Amino acid sequence: MTRIILALWAALAAALAIAHPVHAQEPLRISITEGVIEPIPFAIPAFTVETGGAETLARDIASVVSADLAGTGLFREIPSSAFINQNVAFGNAPTYTDWTAINAQALITGAVAVQGDQLIVKFRLYDVFSGAELGEGLQFAGTAAGWRRMGHKVADAVYSRITGEGGYFDSRVVFVSESGPKDARAKRLGVMDYDGAGVQYLTESGLMFAPRFSPDGSRVLYTSYEQGEPAIYLLDVASVSHQRIPTEAGEMAFSPRFSPDGRRVIYSLSNGGNTDIYMTDLSGSSTRLTSAPSIETAPSFSPDGSQIVFESDRSGTQQLYIMSAGGGEPVRISFDEGARYSTPVWSPRGDLIAFTKQGDGRFHIGVMRTDGSEERLLTSSELDEGPTWAPNGRVLMFTRSTLGASGAPSVYSVDVSGRNLKQVPTGGMASDPSWGPLQP
Amino acid sequence: MTLGGYISAAGHAGLLLWLLLGWGLDSEPMDFEVTEVTAVSGAEYAALVARTSPDVAEAPTEAPEPPPAEEVAPETPTPEAAPEQVPSEPEPAPEPPPEEATPAPEPSPPAEAPPPEPAQAESTPPPEPPPAPPPSAELTASVRPIPRPAPRVAPEAAPPPPPEAEVAPVPEEAEEPAPVPQAEPVEEPVEEAAPEEAATEIVTEAEEPSGAVEVASRPRSRPSRQEPQAEPEEEEVAEEEPAEEETEVAAAEPEDEPAEEPTDSPDGEEEAETTLADDAERDTAASEEPADDVADDVAAALAAAAASEAAEGEAAAADPGPPMTGAERDAFRVSVQQCWVVDPGSQAGRVTVTVVFELGRDARVAGDVRLLTHNAESAEAANSAYEAARRAILRCQGQEGFPLPPEKYEQWRLVEMEFNPEGISMQ
Repeated sequence: MTRIILALWAALAAALAIAHPVHAQEPLRISITEGVIEPIPFAIPAFTVETGGAETLARDIASVVSADLAGTGLFREIPSSAFINQNVAFGNAPTYTDWTAINAQALITGAVAVQGDQLIVKFRLYDVFSGAELGEGLQFAGTAAGWRRMGHKVADAVYSRITGEGGYFDSRVVFVSESGPKDARAKRLGVMDYDGAGVQYLTESGLMFAPRFSPDGSRVLYTSYEQGEPAIYLLDVASVSHQRIPTEAGEMAFSPRFSPDGRRVIYSLSNGGNTDIYMTDLSGSSTRLTSAPSIETAPSFSPDGSQIVFESDRSGTQQLYIMSAGGGEPVRISFDEGARYSTPVWSPRGDLIAFTKQGDGRFHIGVMRTDGSEERLLTSSELDEGPTWAPNGRVLMFTRSTLGASGAPSVYSVDVSGRNLKQVPTGGMASDPSWGPLQP
Repeated sequence: MTLGGYISAAGHAGLLLWLLLGWGLDSEPMDFEVTEVTAVSGAEYAALVARTSPDVAEAPTEAPEPPPAEEVAPETPTPEAAPEQVPSEPEPAPEPPPEEATPAPEPSPPAEAPPPEPAQAESTPPPEPPPAPPPSAELTASVRPIPRPAPRVAPEAAPPPPPEAEVAPVPEEAEEPAPVPQAEPVEEPVEEAAPEEAATEIVTEAEEPSGAVEVASRPRSRPSRQEPQAEPEEEEVAEEEPAEEETEVAAAEPEDEPAEEPTDSPDGEEEAETTLADDAERDTAASEEPADDVADDVAAALAAAAASEAAEGEAAAADPGPPMTGAERDAFRVSVQQCWVVDPGSQAGRVTVTVVFELGRDARVAGDVRLLTHNAESAEAANSAYEAARRAILRCQGQEGFPLPPEKYEQWRLVEMEFNPEGISMQ
């Protein structure tokens, strides 16, 4: 018996020795806690022209792709003059050493073909240092008139593959276009590409403000004094027709916003000197969500539609609160008594809330966690207000106005990190941007 | 009155008598003062002028001496004065040193004795040569040995030249050395100018370098090791070549403690020296051995070497080698982090991923970089963070690979690398 036990022990020891060699080397463990924040250099050689007459489109589309990526501040285009190989055939695998030599981390090749009125754009993305294609090649087809969207689509795909986030280039923004002197300013709703291109007007001039895109981008809510008192109107983008959301006489409705599913609208209603938040299903019936004697306004749904963030002066100053979408006791999330918070907007990602903050004579666009923590101010100027999120929750657009008799509003954008602040070229005075969804 | 008058008369008479007799009031002070004062200052002054400024410092010592008085009388014999002074002054310490100094500047001290004499002899003939050259030489020389007296010397030396016209005879004698440089001079100039310099320099320079410049680290080490007397030769050699040892010690010191270094370094030196000595002995012994013995030894050595190599090969396969140092790990880390592009605004910018990869002996990635773990909430964010880490590794390995010590290949063959962006600021 003893011998058997010893034999078993010996066998076990041998097995362990085989399974775990005495000299099995542990891996070298390194922890990287610091990195660099810099644009990723990419190269985008001229797109291959597969059919006659597409030369211009090929060049323009490549330009749009390049501008979209470089405009994020996350990418940097390597000028073509630095290319070792100027002619890159779309169908052939690239010579990676030609691109590593110029430190290009991403290589975008494309081809454009025009068949009748149809435009076909193809592209491939390569991870240069990995020496492999990043994802598979994609092809988009559309009308020649929509060549810019084709470029935005390619850029979105490239952006998404490299960053792991959804893109926002093929999106539109509804805004208030302004003209005329400050004391007699004419306003009308306009819609443009995210980069300010392709502006189209949706309404005639009037006194209107705060347009809000529907989640699918087909409709726009806005507030207008068209009938003498502020009222909410629903505009169909395709037909440019609009209708007023019914309210009782003597009520002033404003600050509307769609629910994530697009079937409900929350808004502020002022009646008898008191302003509260209401919700309607657009069928004519409304539900009152707050009933405090203070002013509650600027509601915004969370991405899942379960909560609403709004501003209220119930504490004595304008602060931000969150409550259930069905109403109930709100929870305060901002606590700077020396400042006033307004126009909160829930991020499409659901992790942040953007807001306008006024304090010490300055206006800021900031973001904070939904519990009010990690407040970060992204901008600072004489008058910044009304932030709106990009579809991917990565960029904010807002109105920046200059003061004085010659003061004028403009639309700006800033990365959620606080970088890449820049003005959106709207071609004139513009305010109250509302970012729509990615287009299908 | 009469009594007073008598007393007064007696007193006066006594005083007159005492004055007439002149008890002990003759001439003691008179001679003493006049003669010595004038004679001493003038002679010395002339001599000092001739010797130039550097001598001035020494002059005071000579002034009190009587010889100058004698010299004053024999003013004409300039040549004699020089020789007389030399013999008469040999006793005074100050003078001899300067003379001896002349040889001193020269390499060998023994030569000192002879040179002084000829120098003086030679110096006498060339009295004419202006003091210009000697003073310059002396000044330069004086500057080296003792910078302190310089201030005193300067003011006094300056005046001498002008008075020379008057005292010409005497000073010229002393200056003779200066002119020497022209003809046979080679030695002469050295005599006067060099003597003083050399005397002071040799002593001071030899001491200064060891004391002033290198004292900081060396001195301490030396004193600490008093015991090793058995190695006198080695120590002497070491002392003779301080510069090299010091540099070596200095290079080795950084990591060691200062107190221990001295003792350690000498030991090391001793060991090295002993091993070298042993080797030398062995060589000599081997050379004396018969050829057969040598062949046997060589064969045995080769066999031993072959055996050791085989053993080492086996050991190398099993032994991972020395561990990576902190500096080596840091170099590796830095080389990767400088290529890790973080986007703090993205969801991936808040994801920590750990990847694992294998490196070839060329310190470049062999195979692919694999994702080991992540804390992302979405697969997209995890993948993006992983791709960023992978790009950092692949991009910064370059063509020459990562900066890793080849001899420790087994230590870094397999790498597990964590990319944690928590510390990277959002703004």
